[in-house]
Amino acid sequence: MIDLTIDGRAVQVPPGATIWEAARLLGIDLPVLCHDPRLEPVGVCRLCLVEVGEPKLTAACVRGAEDGMEVRTSSERLEVCRRGLVELLLSDYPIDASGRPKTGSDALLALASELGADWPDRRSRSGETGEAPRSRTEPAGGIPAGQGRPLDGTSKVIFVDHQACILCDRCIRGCDDLQVNEVMGRTGKGYQTRIAFDLDAPMGESTCVSCGECEKVCPTGALSLRVWEEPPKDAAGSGNTGWEVL
Amino acid sequence: MTTTTLLGELKKRGVKVRRRGERLLLRDLHGALTPELRAAIDAHREELLATLDGAERSTLTSVDSVCPYCGVGCAIRYFVDEAEDRIRYADGRESPVNHERLCVKGRFGFDYTSHPDRLQTPLIRKESAYPKGPLSTEVRGERKRRPGGLVDYDEVLPHFREATWEEALDLAATRLVEIRDRDGSGALAGFGSAKCSNEEAYLFQKLVRAAFGTNNVDHCTRLCHASSVTALLETIGSGAVTNVFGDVQNADVALIAGSNTTGNHPVAATFIKQARKSGRTKLIVVEPRRIQMADHADYFLQIDSGTDVAFYNSWMHVLIEEGLIDEAYIAERTEGFEALKAVVADYSPEVAAGICGVEPGLIREAARTFGRAERAMIFWGMGISQHTHGTDNSRCLISLALMTGNIGREGTGLHPLRGQNNVQGASDAGVIPMVYPDYQSVEDPAVREKFEQAWGVELDAKPGLTVVEIMGAALDGVIRGMYMMGENPFLSDPNVNKVRKALTNLEFLVVQDIFLTETAEFADVILPATTFFEKSGTYTNTDRRVQVGRKALQPPGGARQDWEITCEIGARMGYPMEYDSPEEVFSEFTALAPSYAGLTYDNLGLTGKLWPCPDPSEDGIQVLFGDRFPTASGRGKFVPAEFAPAKELPDEEYPFVLNTGRRLEHWHTGTMTRRSRALHAIRPGPVVDMHPADLEALGVEDGELVEVASRRGSIVLPAERSDRMLRGAVFIPFHFREAAANLLTIDELDPAGKIPEYKFCAVRVSPAS
Repeated sequence: MIDLTIDGRAVQVPPGATIWEAARLLGIDLPVLCHDPRLEPVGVCRLCLVEVGEPKLTAACVRGAEDGMEVRTSSERLEVCRRGLVELLLSDYPIDASGRPKTGSDALLALASELGADWPDRRSRSGETGEAPRSRTEPAGGIPAGQGRPLDGTSKVIFVDHQACILCDRCIRGCDDLQVNEVMGRTGKGYQTRIAFDLDAPMGESTCVSCGECEKVCPTGALSLRVWEEPPKDAAGSGNTGWEVL
Repeated sequence: MTTTTLLGELKKRGVKVRRRGERLLLRDLHGALTPELRAAIDAHREELLATLDGAERSTLTSVDSVCPYCGVGCAIRYFVDEAEDRIRYADGRESPVNHERLCVKGRFGFDYTSHPDRLQTPLIRKESAYPKGPLSTEVRGERKRRPGGLVDYDEVLPHFREATWEEALDLAATRLVEIRDRDGSGALAGFGSAKCSNEEAYLFQKLVRAAFGTNNVDHCTRLCHASSVTALLETIGSGAVTNVFGDVQNADVALIAGSNTTGNHPVAATFIKQARKSGRTKLIVVEPRRIQMADHADYFLQIDSGTDVAFYNSWMHVLIEEGLIDEAYIAERTEGFEALKAVVADYSPEVAAGICGVEPGLIREAARTFGRAERAMIFWGMGISQHTHGTDNSRCLISLALMTGNIGREGTGLHPLRGQNNVQGASDAGVIPMVYPDYQSVEDPAVREKFEQAWGVELDAKPGLTVVEIMGAALDGVIRGMYMMGENPFLSDPNVNKVRKALTNLEFLVVQDIFLTETAEFADVILPATTFFEKSGTYTNTDRRVQVGRKALQPPGGARQDWEITCEIGARMGYPMEYDSPEEVFSEFTALAPSYAGLTYDNLGLTGKLWPCPDPSEDGIQVLFGDRFPTASGRGKFVPAEFAPAKELPDEEYPFVLNTGRRLEHWHTGTMTRRSRALHAIRPGPVVDMHPADLEALGVEDGELVEVASRRGSIVLPAERSDRMLRGAVFIPFHFREAAANLLTIDELDPAGKIPEYKFCAVRVSPAS
């Protein structure tokens, strides 16, 4: 067994366990966007950064726990880094993506509000800047948005907004490692890097089997549910549910 | 007061506020709302509308239940909008069954329950609709190509009148009693359903046995795994799986025989694919179609349809020849090996190759891989069972496991993948004509006495008729009255033209269902029932895991719980069955079914328990038969089988072999999935899969209409080019009434399992234009 301390508290974990897993044992929930306990960690979002007494910060989801390690999960430096990371991720995040229904979550926005992150659309939306929210191809915060990244509405059940994607690869791992449908991967280079179905086919024309795992694990709403407006239920069905319309 | 404090205060008092569009909805069940708070809500109206998210899960009620579709039985958390009485989201839950995974049906297929077509009032056939017969043009068999493919309510409903529950139930009971007293108990029969709960299944067979007075009670397991269960009971003494599918991760080899696993048990398939991907497990797939599982396989053997016995006999031939058998296991745990050895001696891979169309070298190589495995698991599906030699097919797979000692340890076992969400449970509960609950024979006097005491009536000692036999007896006028709970034999039974005549010939038919089905067109009385989501009950999955399905929605209009309806009919037939809840029914059932002993709603908890479960503080026994088999001798029995061809082979007039089955997005006769927006949108209609070269030979392009005809009927549907098919073979799913595959299928039965040969008949294909 490996003995380490996290924020001054001692914890023992089996060899191979990560710092993130050790922290969980102590009830410390490190922020993550790219990680899910059901998936192999990849350490790309860097939000689970911790201090381990080395010059560089390290990602707890991929860094193995070591004997005698002294880990700090919160500090001014960590907070600045995490907030900065979230602000960067949000700098070209289309705010309308957050309004769509999803079984996954708005983990990115929730984290932004928890960390007190500040980004252009939040300011314009809350009226602080007096500007209307920018369009999808407008530059934001001085960062050029290029051509913007595309939307894909070809699947009957899931809507893809590549602009809202942070390339955390959770969907790809959900599809390839959990469901083993092996439909998803990545395509493109640089700013045009995107998640892709088969050899970059539109989702609805790919070999996707619509299991929904990608949408379920997506932390940003880049993959969201296409929900149809339902016809209202007749009086017999909803007459006595105890709800009052105000 | 800020909006946040207001919401906190409302929550504390149990007052719920929701947003629907621009409306606010308020529910105050406990009368905890003060005038001040009400005023505050008014004052904060705009902020509340802005704050509350109409579709967020945090504003919805969560219900921990299971999936209503297949035998995998995934654990699901449903998010219910109580104000609208609708399910909004389905999330996979953590459970040994699915580890939060779902497939397209589980994730998106729940909305059928809220479809406006739901039956809400009991219906009685009008005088003008006699003499009986099908009511819609399509069910009459007059071809009418209309999109949508569901029963046309406008055409059928005018032939029925609405009735009160009293009137409908009285009529049902009176007529059933009349037939029983006039023609004897043998003139009545009941079809239960593997979609209903254990409790409903138990009460249904109790009603038929105790009140109808007959063992003529069966359900759709007859049409899926009856032959597998027959073979399992005969050889190892138990019809259920010997190990759970998730244990494939500990197997060195997994054999998938006749199962389109990714289509029909998608979440179970993920575990098999994962095991293969981990590098631990080698995957062997034996199938006439190059299904998706074949893309993951180490060995894929595309055998000709219906040649399984020859194929597996040749495997056993190789294993014996090369000494890849477990001599010690055979000596200590089995009997009858010599007889098997004599039979398989004639099936060299060269002989089998001539029958199955697979290279002998490949047969040898795959057999060796299986034989050398320390641990091997065998999964099979309808490709094994739905043949006139389905029992023989299963016997071969069981022999294969016995001779290699692959039963009773971790990473080994026999796993017939069960179809319906409760096909295991409905069978366990005794909706089978030859056995009472827990497979206790109706012919055993001691057993019969036990049930006579428990139910307080004399019981029939004669085993009843099976599904297809009941249809035959209806046609012959022997069966006069029937009660069908949630079955739609018009589309699900083989040879629809014969079923149509049989249903027409019934003097009296009660259909209890959630939608107007094709079968309901022949009913005298239709009783509106509840869906899975509107009731609580237990369901037993393919792993033997008993799980609680919990009520999430209110039944629409006058629809009633199935178990209550069954009890009401019993009472009116002079056999009162009184229970307060499904839970009470469950305890009566478990007291009579030793396999379920010790299980209660309380200890089933959120993830259920495997039966048998001798210690309810644990999860139940995962691997069965480590020491002995529940047979008379305690040994597993080899039952050899000789290859026999299918009943109707292709010839010049009907040169193609028809295989039928299901599609990932649809379920059985389509009454549920075709009313689910997402599932219908993904796959709105039927196609026949054909090899590209066959299409070319016919001069038909992908997507063009073809007529497929057998000696029993014909249908027209678009052809789909599929390089997953063998030449000379066609595949049609049976979900679609506008091109009902079962118009073509043959109603020949397996002699032991009484299962029809859905997987093989001869057809002709021609361009339809």
